[in-house]
This record gives sequence, structure tokens and C-alpha cells, in this order.
Amino acid sequence: MQFNTPLVQRRLSLAVGAALAVIATGAFAQAEISGAAAPTGSPVPKSVSVSQGQLDAAGADGTNFLHSNMNYAQTRYYPATQINTKNVAKLKPAFVFQTEVLESMETAPIVVDGIMYITTSYNHVYALDAKTGKEFWHYKHKMGAVTTYCCGPNNRGVAIMGDKLYMGTLDAKLLALDAKTGKVLWATQIADPEAGYSETMAPVAVNGKVLIGTNGGEYGIRGFVKAFDANSGKELWSFATIPEKGHEGVWAVNDATGRNMHRDIAAEKAQLAKSSDFYKTLGGGVWMAPAVDKDSNTAFFVVGNPSPDLYGAERPGDNLYTDSIVAVDLNTGAYKWHHQYVAHDVWDLDAVSPVILTEAKGKDGKMRKVAIHGGKTGHVYVHDRATGELIRFSEAMVPQENMWVLPTKDGARMLPGANGGVEWSPMAVNPKLRLAYAANLHQPMTYHVEQAAYPGGKLWLGGAFKVIAAEKQWGRLAAVNLDTGKLAWKFDTEQPLIGGVLATAGDLVFNGEGNGLFRAFDAKTGKKLWEYQCGAGVNAPAVSYTTGGKQYVAVAAGGNTQLDFKRGNSVVVFALP
Amino acid sequence: MKHAARFLVVTALLLGVAAARSQTAAVPPKAEACAACHGPGGARSLVPAYPILAGQTARYLYLQLRDFQEGRRSNELMSPMVAGMTRDEMREISEYFAKQKPPVQSFKTDPEKARLGKLKADETLCTMCHLGGFAGQNEVPRVAGQNYDYVVKQLSDFKARKRTNDAGSMTSVASTINAQDIENLAHYLSGL
Repeated sequence: MQFNTPLVQRRLSLAVGAALAVIATGAFAQAEISGAAAPTGSPVPKSVSVSQGQLDAAGADGTNFLHSNMNYAQTRYYPATQINTKNVAKLKPAFVFQTEVLESMETAPIVVDGIMYITTSYNHVYALDAKTGKEFWHYKHKMGAVTTYCCGPNNRGVAIMGDKLYMGTLDAKLLALDAKTGKVLWATQIADPEAGYSETMAPVAVNGKVLIGTNGGEYGIRGFVKAFDANSGKELWSFATIPEKGHEGVWAVNDATGRNMHRDIAAEKAQLAKSSDFYKTLGGGVWMAPAVDKDSNTAFFVVGNPSPDLYGAERPGDNLYTDSIVAVDLNTGAYKWHHQYVAHDVWDLDAVSPVILTEAKGKDGKMRKVAIHGGKTGHVYVHDRATGELIRFSEAMVPQENMWVLPTKDGARMLPGANGGVEWSPMAVNPKLRLAYAANLHQPMTYHVEQAAYPGGKLWLGGAFKVIAAEKQWGRLAAVNLDTGKLAWKFDTEQPLIGGVLATAGDLVFNGEGNGLFRAFDAKTGKKLWEYQCGAGVNAPAVSYTTGGKQYVAVAAGGNTQLDFKRGNSVVVFALP
Repeated sequence: MKHAARFLVVTALLLGVAAARSQTAAVPPKAEACAACHGPGGARSLVPAYPILAGQTARYLYLQLRDFQEGRRSNELMSPMVAGMTRDEMREISEYFAKQKPPVQSFKTDPEKARLGKLKADETLCTMCHLGGFAGQNEVPRVAGQNYDYVVKQLSDFKARKRTNDAGSMTSVASTINAQDIENLAHYLSGL
């Protein structure tokens, strides 16, 4: 919620249904900002094209930033070193680009040959000069009659391949735009927005395909990851995150870290004998970009919470593959392996933050190819990339208390709160230091359960999450050693962190806060080296690129509607003087 | 009783169609039949157990129509009315009624009951979803000025879990109030 979870507003004690306030319909709330489908402005004054070879080598590309999470491995470890620990204190804004949409910004800009592409809430796309901030074209998506989403009209960016950009929309379409002009080349309806499907994630473009999942874990969707033909928009394969058979799993007693989840498995089995067709509304959204390993031809992603979030009695079993990391064949979408973190989740502590492919020591001390995930639970999980075996999980990055107490009618307190831990925020890694960097929230909450029948595409929590007003909320940027699972350092912030992290070969880590402060840290020690007040919440992942011989760091400062951080409409771009 | 009610509806339906036609040309074709029970523009219910539709939020109306059609909400009069309607028709109807002006409520409220109803409403945090003044928003309905009998029936149905198409929010709230609270709340809300 997506949410998703999400569904928790910082200052409101959220009764069931109060989150309905953020569900908008195309006909009303967006009328003034959902314009025509034709772009305005002028074409980019040069041809734009990105080859598959460039996309494959993006991890070593110190000029461009070609994927929302930088490379297919999603390491967000930018190789340029011009900006580094020694000079970052001198970093200054080079320009500020203002969009016309004053609402949450979660976009990860991509930069191709000096051209930057950004998205905004309500699916606007801008093409601009990455050196000067001059706007070329501006595309406003014409929204369909109905949009259904829980947690803000967000968008997290585009994918690029060849001369096309790809964007998912709130009305559950996948669009291909001409990167030079912003014209729509094709649009494919991915799923029915009335049934709770919507798109906020950046797609991933690879080998002539565009990969995209879906939001909707708060609406009783049946989740998926789909691949579309990059030229025609035709669906090539679809992996259902809720299998029709076998979603009950192994009746796991413990979570992935070995803690008892207090399930009444006998009652669940009896319920399953009565009905098993709830798989059609069992949730399991995938709302952050998949990682891709070209060598093994595998796509990796994490799957969100089961629906309804808090009421589990009528969805017995492990609810596979919710709250799991999953690997599928890139060509066919065929299942390879999965590993579930929380079986039969009734806390919305799902798996969201995008998978990173890197290396870490195995239990025998030998380096292994791994896939890692930063959980809402507060752990970083390290898996063998070929088998999914859980090699280790980190010590908890945020306080955990009373896990796994079951939700009650009057509310049971448990930490972390339903947003985590790590929410959708992408982590970054520094492969030399063997550290992963994770933006965490600490929001004490009570979990409330209420019986609730499937309401047909309306918000379906089966209870409520309520923040505990008397308890302080805060954030924590944590550095986790992937070889040991120990915290190397932590930096605590006044506000819960949501937005994501960038690391660079200049031994820096960049992260923003809802109070507008965008900061650089020493990657080894966590020492704060620089900060800048952006004027609105920095709740988006930063990116970096080099043009005209100068390295830049860009980040959106648009705030966050879900946590009610001050909204803005800017991308702020920094460079050395 | 059932037969009598149906006869009444059919008769009223014919009268209502004529009334609706004479009022405005902008009435979507499928909305004309609604006037039979809900009055011209959805503003004058035939009996107070039928809700006022005028000024209701379009999103709420649409979702209720869809729920009647798909069986998540049932009513012997409404369910057959929506059978066979397309989504576009349901949207048109909803937007039409949302644009109509709500009528002045003629129900005579009891000031003491209304006072107690307001206290209960404040305690129950109704306006977190229904907004101040109970104007409604998106899929949460406007209930200000709604018919007394209709409000009593809906709150009672939520309490008895006869109406469950709202994902548990109202069934949860209604479980905390008694029959007297329902009466007081209906006095308060119909008087807004």
C-alpha cells in the first residue's frame, strides 16, 4: 500500500476507512491536472537512443543513469568519483527544476546523454536538459474515469530502451512514449482499475520486454508481474503472485527469522476445507521494480501483503507468494524459487523495497552471488541468488517489540509499525565496503482487526492501523554489513525515513528526510558530511550523472502525502562549484 | 405486503418518469426510472425509507449501484433495477444525482435526541470519514439531511451485519452503538 501499505497518516489516528480520503476518482480530484494526452513543448534537440548493451553495462556507466535503480542489479552504487568525501561539503545547487504538480514526488530521474526524464504524481513526464534544467517537453497523462489507489497519486519513474520511455499509470495502463517528443506510441490496459489495480512503480525494460507489477494489496487484487512487448505493448507473459493451487504453502509456524507467528493452523485448515477460491482476491501486489540477472536469465522481485491486510480468518494458509522474494525466468515468467518472510501476514509487514543483486560471504566464508531485500520487519535478508536459500538476516535496524502479537478488536501494540522498517524505499550497496544502506521508519502502532467481506474494489483492510500519538516517531539510516548481518553504523533522524538511498564510488551515501534536509554521509563511518535544505520533503531516491565533465546529484523534493511531509514540486540538482 | 409494495413502485414509476421528463432534458435515460421512488432529481423520496440521492457523492452512488448489481448489497427493489446496466450507465446516473441540489429535510427532529446524537457522533469519530457537516467524500456518503427512516434502517442493518459491503468500517462502528443511539443519530443527521 502499497501502502502498500501504507495507509498510515502520521498525525491522524487512523480509524478504519479514514484512508478513503486519499482515494480519488479521475472525474473529480484530478480534473485540473489531468490534461490532454499530447505533450507540450518542443522535442529534445537530438536523437535519444539507449542500446541493450548500454542498459546491461549501466552499473559501470559514470555518465548516464539509465534505470530507476541505476542498473539491473539495482545496486544504486554510482561509479563516478568527482564528488567524494573530501569535497562534498562544497556541494551547491546547480539548478532547480519545478514541475506544475504540487504533490508527492517519488520519482527516480533517469539521465541519458545529458537529457533527464522525470515523472510526477498523476503521471506527468518531463524531458529536460540535465545541465541547465531547460524544459523540452511535458506529457500529461489523460486519466481514465476511475483510479483506485491507497497511498497517494505517486509515480516512481520511467524505464528507457531504444528510443522509447515506458511508464505505468494510476489508471493501470502501461504507456510507451517517444523519448524525443513525448508522444504516446502505444498504451496497454494492464488490469481493471475498478478492481483496485493501479501502477506507481517504474517498469524495467530488458531484451525487448517491459516488466511491470501492480499495486492493489489494499483492495483484494490478485497480484502479478507481467512482461509486455516493448514495440507493440502486447502481453508476453504473466506470473500470478497468488497461485491458484498451493497458496496454502507449508503451514509455516515461524517467520523467516524463526519467531513464532501464533497462527491457529487447525482453524486455518478447517477454513480452507470450506473454501479455497479466495485466491482471486488474495492481494500480493508487486509495486517496486524487479532486479534482473542477465547471466541466469532471471527476474527477482518481492511480493506485497495479502488482502485483507489485518483480517486473516477467511484467507487461511501461508498465502503464497505474499511477503516473499520470488525468482522467475525472464523469458517465460516461469517460477524458479521463492522464500517467504512472513506467512499468513496479518500486520501488513510485507516485502516491498526492491531486490538488489550483489555478492556476500556465505556461511563458509566464500563469496556468493546473492539477492538481498530490506524488509518492513527491519531486517536485511541475504539469499543465495540461485536457490533462494536464506544465508542470513541482519540484526534488526529498528526496535522490534511484541512480535508477532495478533491484531485484536481494540488494538495490539507491536513494533515495527505497518510501514516498517524499510518501506518501498530502495536501498543502495557499496560492494567494496560490503555494506547495504537502508532508510528506516520507526512508527509505533496498534493493530486492529475487524471481520470484513470482500467489498468489490473498495479499500479492504479488515481493521485498522493506528499510530500511538504519545509515542515518538523517528527515522534511521542504517548501514548493514552483508557478510555478518551486523549494523556498521546508523544515523537517526527526526522524521521517519521514506524515499531511498544512493551510494557512490566517492564513498558517499545520499539520503533525504521529510523535513527537507538532503544529506551526504561518509559511507564507511556514517559521519554526516553535508546537508542542504530543499524546502519540501525529500522523499525520493537520489540519482547521479555526469555531463559536460561535471558530476551531478539530483533528487526530487516533493514531500509525501502518506506521511504528510511538506509537498513541493521540484527536482533539485547539485554539483561542485 | 410485498405485492402491494411492488404495485406501488410500478405505479409510482410511471408517474415519476413523467415528472422527471418534464423537469429537465439532461436526465440520463436510465435515471428516469429512479425518480419513481427517489423523486425528481433524487430529491423527494416516495417514502422516507428510500434515500435522498440529490447531492450524494458520485463515487458512492456508483459503487452502491455496482454492489447491487454484483450482489454485495441487496434490496428487492434495487437489485432488479440495476441488473443489466453498463458501468457507463451507472456512472452517468451517479454523476447526474451528485449534481442535483439536496432538498430541505421536512422531518421534524427532536432537539434533545439530536443533541445526544451529536455527542455520539463526536465520540464515534464519524467525521473522520464522513467529513465535517457529514458532507461525504468519494466513496464515503453524504448523510447530512438524509431521511430519518433510511438512516435508522442502514445503521440497524450494519449493526445486524445485514449490510456488509463497506469492508467492515460501518459494521465495526455500528457494533458499538445501541438502538437508542441509532435513533438519536438519525435525529441529528436528518436535521443537518
